[in-house]
Amino acid sequence: MGLPNASEDLSSEMEVDAFRRLFPLRYFERHLAESIRPDARSLSRARNTTISMGAVASADGSALAKIGSTTMLAAIKMEVMTPSLESPDEGCVSIDFHMPPICSPLVRPGRPAEAAPVVAKQLSDTISSSGMINLKELSLVGGKAAWMVYLDIYCLDADGALFDAALLSAVAAFSNLQIPTVSLDDGKIVMLPEEQKEENSEKEPVNKEKRKLTLGGIPFSLTCILHKNYILADPTSEEESIMETLVTVVLDSSNQLVSLYKPGGAVLAYTSAVQDCIALTRQRVKELHQILEEAISGMEID
Amino acid sequence: MAAKPSTTTTAKATYSPIDPTRKTRPPIFSGSDVDWLRPDSRGFHQCRPAFFRTGAVNSASGSAYAEFGNTKVIVSVFGPRESKKAMMYSNIGRLNCNVSYTTFATPIRGQGSDHKDFSSMLHKALEGAIILETFPKTTVDVFALVLESGGSIRFLVKQVDELDTLWFAVGDLPVVISCASVALADAGIMMYDLVASVSVSCLGKNLLIDPVLEEESYQDGSLMIACMPSRYEVTQLTVTGEWSTPHFNEAMQLCLDASAKLGKIMRSCLKEAASDEQE
Repeated sequence: MGLPNASEDLSSEMEVDAFRRLFPLRYFERHLAESIRPDARSLSRARNTTISMGAVASADGSALAKIGSTTMLAAIKMEVMTPSLESPDEGCVSIDFHMPPICSPLVRPGRPAEAAPVVAKQLSDTISSSGMINLKELSLVGGKAAWMVYLDIYCLDADGALFDAALLSAVAAFSNLQIPTVSLDDGKIVMLPEEQKEENSEKEPVNKEKRKLTLGGIPFSLTCILHKNYILADPTSEEESIMETLVTVVLDSSNQLVSLYKPGGAVLAYTSAVQDCIALTRQRVKELHQILEEAISGMEID
Repeated sequence: MAAKPSTTTTAKATYSPIDPTRKTRPPIFSGSDVDWLRPDSRGFHQCRPAFFRTGAVNSASGSAYAEFGNTKVIVSVFGPRESKKAMMYSNIGRLNCNVSYTTFATPIRGQGSDHKDFSSMLHKALEGAIILETFPKTTVDVFALVLESGGSIRFLVKQVDELDTLWFAVGDLPVVISCASVALADAGIMMYDLVASVSVSCLGKNLLIDPVLEEESYQDGSLMIACMPSRYEVTQLTVTGEWSTPHFNEAMQLCLDASAKLGKIMRSCLKEAASDEQE
């Protein structure tokens, strides 16, 4: 018990920065007792969120999502594949999540970040189970050809709530996706050059016009930290490193629960705490939905 | 585990639907053709517009974002921090560089792996400019991520097996070097001067400054200079391919002039960031 008491006494004499580094938990708890966080947010408030569409010119669909300083760049490239025998009229979506060494001092080249495979698995589970994408829509020629959708998400700056930002960028990239125009030539799918669109009649057009994917229920998520009786929405990486119990709730746009993660942690949550998290997520979904809509309509005006 | 479309079929062979009319390489350059327009309608001796901004990554000690036409690069600098445990004692600082590409950087989806060649070249280009004595026993890490590689978007590489040869063109390296030196300055690492880098391609009788991927695939020779403009010192000079002496001299001069101008742009970006901070 010596240490916490000692810190109590020291806190009045010590500089704030030094106190923050030496006794991070105590520093945060002081704030929490006043219902405020060191970055001047209230406990249930998420950070500023922005989406910009079409950030990568060489991709078929892309988006940059920022939550606070956490930045995710998602890009989609479409390729053609032969569908598997079990699902001859379905395309396929492959999701990769990367944390390059630029994003955080903890990641070194050659040693992939611990968090990356966890987030990647959560992402592909969430996107496939939310029913956002109808795989049948990705079919080109039944049993012969279908779209293989490669979604790559890069974390450019890691500052907490990685999954939330990654999912938001993925969803935005899908709503930005334009399926390219292709035609069938000798049993092989080829790109239809813009200028030849009309004259080339001997080739059988498979996908005549650039089209968008129709998205089903769009999943949105919110990560919260549970610490004692406090619930902190949208944590920064500093908060994540000090208080370790995280709950991530994913709801779709009609407020149905898609998934809920609570990967262990020191705090055992009461059902009431989980319900509070879900309630916070419900509010957040509304916010995120609006931000996404605005980003999409912003694109259409241009 | 039944519904896992994402991982089970990734090994399946896929291909990009390539425009069939591009299968034969159109003659980009015939003999003494001088009226030829570059793919992005620049003049032969005209660089792409350069844009720098510092502070792209908050969690790094210093960082910069650079955009030259379609080439987009982010560089983060970490440290000076503890060297790896296995490292021998050193009374001067160490510089550690890494360059990687995103999977969507190239026209055809790549592997997005580390680029060892560029990593070591970046190291050698910067090494001479950094005052390593100012951070003894520690390491400064310079990590670069190429978000998008230069080259016009319409240009689709014809065959995947030819991608390898293009991959080793000097490509985005000059942008990475220039961006890295801005990031180092942003991190407050002591340097003798900023390092500005420019490349020139030789196509037949013509010299093309700051070539894009498409032009590099037709080049007869390439020259890349990394230099410290204020000190008029060269930190790295890479020459490949076929060069005549007068051509070579001309290209050198062209590069040095361009890097002096580039240096000014880099300096003004840093000044702007510093004056913003003061306000």
